Amino acid sequence: MSITTLLKSTVAALAIAGSGSLLAQGTPIDAAAFDALVAAGPVASPDVIAASPWASKIKQAGALRLGGTQTSNLFSLLNEKDGRMRGFDAGLAQLVTRYILGDASKIQFTQVNSSTREQVLINGQVDMVMATYSITPARAEKISFAGPYYTSQAGVLVKSNNKAIQSYNDLAGKKVATQAGSTGPAILAQFAPKSTVQEFQTHQEALDSLRQGRVDAYVTDHTLLLNALSLGTGDAKLAGAPFGAQDPYGIGLPKGSDGVAFVNAFLKKIEADGTWAKLWTISIGQRTGSTAVPTPPALP
Amino acid sequence: MRRTLEDTLFGAPSPRTRALTRAGNFVAAGALLLLAAGIAYRFHSAGQLEPRYWQFFAWPTTWAFLAKGLLGTLASAAMSAVIALSLGLMLMLGRLSRLRLVRWPSIAAIEFLRGTPTLLLIYLCFLVLPSIGVKLSTYWMLTLPIGFSTAAVVAEVYRAGVLAVPRGQTDAARSLGMTGTQVFFTIVFPQALRYIVPALVAQLVIVVKDTTFGYVVTYGELMQNAKVLIANYHSLVPVYLVVAALYCLVNYGISRASRRLGRPMH
Amino acid sequence: MGDVAKLLADHGPAFWQALLLTWKLTALAFVPGFALGVAVAALRLFPLAPLRACLAFYVEIFRNIPSVALLIFIVFALPDLEVVIDYEHSVVLTLALVCSAFTADYLRTGINTIPSGQIEAALSLGMRPARVISSIVLPQALRSVVQPITSLLIALMLSTSLASQVPMPGRELTALVSKMGNDAAIGMAAFMVAAAMYVATGLLIAWAGATLDRKVRILR
Repeated sequence: MSITTLLKSTVAALAIAGSGSLLAQGTPIDAAAFDALVAAGPVASPDVIAASPWASKIKQAGALRLGGTQTSNLFSLLNEKDGRMRGFDAGLAQLVTRYILGDASKIQFTQVNSSTREQVLINGQVDMVMATYSITPARAEKISFAGPYYTSQAGVLVKSNNKAIQSYNDLAGKKVATQAGSTGPAILAQFAPKSTVQEFQTHQEALDSLRQGRVDAYVTDHTLLLNALSLGTGDAKLAGAPFGAQDPYGIGLPKGSDGVAFVNAFLKKIEADGTWAKLWTISIGQRTGSTAVPTPPALP
Repeated sequence: MRRTLEDTLFGAPSPRTRALTRAGNFVAAGALLLLAAGIAYRFHSAGQLEPRYWQFFAWPTTWAFLAKGLLGTLASAAMSAVIALSLGLMLMLGRLSRLRLVRWPSIAAIEFLRGTPTLLLIYLCFLVLPSIGVKLSTYWMLTLPIGFSTAAVVAEVYRAGVLAVPRGQTDAARSLGMTGTQVFFTIVFPQALRYIVPALVAQLVIVVKDTTFGYVVTYGELMQNAKVLIANYHSLVPVYLVVAALYCLVNYGISRASRRLGRPMH
Repeated sequence: MGDVAKLLADHGPAFWQALLLTWKLTALAFVPGFALGVAVAALRLFPLAPLRACLAFYVEIFRNIPSVALLIFIVFALPDLEVVIDYEHSVVLTLALVCSAFTADYLRTGINTIPSGQIEAALSLGMRPARVISSIVLPQALRSVVQPITSLLIALMLSTSLASQVPMPGRELTALVSKMGNDAAIGMAAFMVAAAMYVATGLLIAWAGATLDRKVRILR
């Protein structure tokens, strides 16, 4: 082996050893590609904005007040070193901001969880909520949804050495974690009524409870579970195939807001020009080992 | 200087007691070291001492991020303290008033605010007030309930201080022809304040502790930033330990600073 | 008022269960917390420097740590150290630890009010220090701190609202009200009922404490 090859492999080995955090995060998001995609997003023309009171108000305020999460690995994770959020939801939010304001960074961020998502819209604390928010009729009574922008079925996550649970049929009498205020409780009531349900405020807490043995299984959106597997700590697996109805994710907006039409038009635009597919690949596809880009759900 | 009880009890030890004490010190130190070793061993066997769970603490960005969270905590705590101190004063004055029309509502307000948990008041601001049209910003949804809740306790602390000032001073001042208000604000209240400073500072510590409920109303403070670090590095134990230590340090610092001021009531 | 009546008709049993759970958590946390606090205060009297330093450290930690931070540590971080405690016990443990630190602190003040003449007299009678502590110091100290301990018990009762932050099987008052608030727009009625229950319990404890204080306090 030549000196240069030796040097290169040493540097590579050191890099891998030093980046022990890789193992903890699974495949980290391709930050450069993400930032480039967001920076190249479309910008609305002034008359499109003027036609929408919701967008005009945001433009006048100079920033979009966003309710979202900073702790979801696939959908929106804050990198505290450069202060930027990256993920599928984060990307869409930044693209909307760029669409209205011309600059994807003009976001005023508020951390929400399953219990606070509706209330912050009702209280007028934020303009928009993007937080793996499933569209349900009950929620649609309090707030309005734009989209859907993504769909996912439910899945069951268990520890690798769990042979007892092969699918959602085996959950009777078991302790099952789910996210409070999500579609999880309703799905469990329908498919696994005899299970003991524990509701957690965030995805991270529910995952930790599975890892720590407080629950036997975790039922939530299939995509979030793929995320957990991508973390590569290796001791969880999916039990059975995705089940249940296709859960549509929507963008939360104040009730009756005209922002719904505006955001739907925006979604149609980025689905048509391939931005949606590229964002999916960068934030989800590359990190969960899925290569088939799903078709975006039909917009009303 | 007054001897403490321990000095009286264990002062002037006999040779036998001194030997026993030395042995006791030995045993106690040994037991504590064993305890510390046991804890360290548990950390090690649970894999919590691996570098990847601690290495990000060596980066300045981590501390800058935590400091931002701490600033959020302190911003809310400072304003809550101001509200508590001023509203508490008004409530106390109302309670001590001779007019029934002023006294009874003050007593009711104090009992209500003292008797309900701060968390319940926070939920009230977050869930109920908006439905009747009162839309506060995230910051005020946390700061107002904490401020009001603490104001009631502060009112009682003020009252205890005022009642501890010797009656003779009020009598003397009145006999000099001073009006009630003059007596209160120039003679009674300044002395009362010096008695109660430790108790007021204890309330300040409670205010800082209450800000940890910020996530209930989506206010960004230290605990929230801790969760971001955990989501990035999956290091639960180290992050929560460091954050708990930060809170303890801040509160301890506040209590310590107060010991310079004030003197005890007896 | 009609709102309140309707609320009680629909959710009366739930409120009652929640109130009982609040009382249960308070009692379960206070008894061990108080006992531990007394033990800590007594042990701090012994002239063993390592022990005193360690107990002083213990008291400072649990007086200054926010209860939410402690609860989150016990519920979410301890399992990573292979110590898994179920939710209700975690809440009780958190409250008991904090209660013990404050008890030890108040008791220390109480201990300092005892005139040293009594100690000197007891020692001159040939009593051992341990006996002096158990027969002379502690009984009088306990009698003189009834009022602050009553306030502590009330604060503890209010702190059981913490339990709303972990997925416990039962719901206490704050958890019940916040769940009702999330499910539907309940308005002020539910909050007022919960607040009234808390205030009533607090007043009850305060009255009991004042009566006890009048009976046992020592006038010097």
